[in-house]
Amino acid sequence: MEIFDNIMLGFSVALGLKNLGLCFLGCMIGTLIGVLPGVGPVATISMLLPITFGIDPVGALIMLAGIYYGAQYGGSTTAILVNIPGEATSVVTTLDGHQMARQGRAGVALGIAAIGSFVAGCIATIIIALLAVPMARMALLFKPADYFALMILGLMLAVVLARGSIPKAIAMILAGVLLSTVGRDLETGEERLIFGWSELDDGIDFAVIAMGVFGFAEILRNLYMPESRNVVQATIGRLLPSRLDFRQSFWPIIRGTGLGSFLGLLPGNGAVLAPFASYSIEKKLATDPSRFGCGAIEGVAGPESANNAGAQTAFIPLLTLGIPPNAVMALMVGAMTIHNLVPGPEIMTKQPKLFWGMIASMWIGNLMLIVINLPMIGIWVRLLKVPYRLLFPAIVLFCCIGIYSVNNNPVDVYLTAAFGLLGYVLIRLDFEPAPLLLGFVLGRLLEEKLRQAMAISRGSAWTFVEHRIAAVMLAISVVALIIAVLPSMRQKRNIVFAE
Amino acid sequence: MSGTAAGASGDNPVRPPGITRDLVAGLLLVTVAAGAFFGTTDLSNGEGAGIGPGLMPRGIALLLGGVGALIVVLSFFGARAPIGGIALRGPLFVLGSVVLFAVSIRTLGLAFAGPLAVIVSALADRDSRPLEIIIFAAALTLLCVGLFKFALRLPIPLAPMLLGY
Repeated sequence: MEIFDNIMLGFSVALGLKNLGLCFLGCMIGTLIGVLPGVGPVATISMLLPITFGIDPVGALIMLAGIYYGAQYGGSTTAILVNIPGEATSVVTTLDGHQMARQGRAGVALGIAAIGSFVAGCIATIIIALLAVPMARMALLFKPADYFALMILGLMLAVVLARGSIPKAIAMILAGVLLSTVGRDLETGEERLIFGWSELDDGIDFAVIAMGVFGFAEILRNLYMPESRNVVQATIGRLLPSRLDFRQSFWPIIRGTGLGSFLGLLPGNGAVLAPFASYSIEKKLATDPSRFGCGAIEGVAGPESANNAGAQTAFIPLLTLGIPPNAVMALMVGAMTIHNLVPGPEIMTKQPKLFWGMIASMWIGNLMLIVINLPMIGIWVRLLKVPYRLLFPAIVLFCCIGIYSVNNNPVDVYLTAAFGLLGYVLIRLDFEPAPLLLGFVLGRLLEEKLRQAMAISRGSAWTFVEHRIAAVMLAISVVALIIAVLPSMRQKRNIVFAE
Repeated sequence: MSGTAAGASGDNPVRPPGITRDLVAGLLLVTVAAGAFFGTTDLSNGEGAGIGPGLMPRGIALLLGGVGALIVVLSFFGARAPIGGIALRGPLFVLGSVVLFAVSIRTLGLAFAGPLAVIVSALADRDSRPLEIIIFAAALTLLCVGLFKFALRLPIPLAPMLLGY
């Protein structure tokens, strides 16, 4: 069968010595930053983007992907042992995972989190392999008008699924699109919004915005809100869950995987939403819901599987449609652009080695992560004792070197500092910066497709209604927005995010 | 974030919040939108089938201004989070260290710009200890030189005045 040939091709690429090494490196870095609270995958990947210049695109993307899903594993370690989420996706794990740790079952909690994540990672990898080909074929049928509508739908769902105020999320997307128009217009070559500053001729570099708004602004946010760390001092205990633990966790893992795989596909922060959804479902299905919050193993197994599955399936819209569903995938677009790759349906046909190699590497990476996380847990616990007062100056230096290396130009460093300030102001004004990055990444494509669509239709805006696919997607966008602002839904949404 | 905001406004229900966070947020958006709108007046909207370079930025600016105005209006209703003080220490030292790095990287090189950035940014945290941070800055710079300059061969200046590269 075709799919087996593809997967074999993928493994032949991913099992090469160099790619295996890069996959391992990515998983290690991912676990490291996942464990450390206050250092997220977005900041790390933007820091490492310039360094991937020298690596071939396959290896670079394998490594960056490893950082992303590795962080999901590492985040749970911190959640269980310290009761603070190492990553946004492991917030729910603190509820029952830390209680388990306090009852002397830290090892079992870590074990089931890793095993659940592994199972989820394997299933999600298969889902990607199965869905990718039909999705890419479908995407090849898309006309510019359809693509435009698809991006609008993606951005709209990102708004609806984001936490916080809807007008502010929309404002962030618009601001991102506006920033993407800065620089020389691609068609006419006219200067736009550069206000006489020729340094901006080529537009604002993606890494500058990502590192400023996520790297520096995150540091400023963390300094403003100091955290307390209480590492569980008790021994971690046995790592392997008992037979009863396995029986209790089996269905939560399967359900969590299903839920996470589906939500990960959606634009917006599906992967962040998945563990919350999984937790509340497990609580509803449990025969004794009162156990939740007091160390129920289902409350660790389900959400941990869900977040890992979501992190993996988030690659599907990126690789098949060229639409990044979240900020990390937006960075992946940046990484691909650096290597002159255009994300989208052509990747699979024109770069089969890259596409299937990446997918195969995800499965290998999940296997590596089990080894990295379980037997080496002692090392990661010790790392938790590195204080933030040493951590953040190191991040500042890495960011500075990284940003300078993009174009070997100090101006980029100044600009990044300015965006750091902007990001800090935005955070203090209760804006969520992720949609800004999404809008920025999609902005140019959005304009390009709009222009193409209007050129084909000879200037008639009705083209978006006449194309059936486009019309359906625009209609869904409008409906999603209306539902989200309805007063009854707004309350429900607040409850979901408050939990 | 919203949790702390609600708590803060709940603590002093008597005092009416003057300037709210949302008001400032909305006004900021309107200002940015106005800047973008009037900054693109010389660009054409295009005619007929061809969309000009001005349409997209101006259209987006109009939408952004509209959303900003909506946020301003909404800021007078519902939960009102006060603007609160802005901590200056963090932004000053962290962003200051970044600017210092940018100023000095071409002339002094990584050997000096590196520790400078580490030490100055560390001042952002009240808990930082002088001796610890100096040793840490030296160690970290050595690591970075080894990793970026020699292992990854990035063309970053090391110490141009002393070494010539």
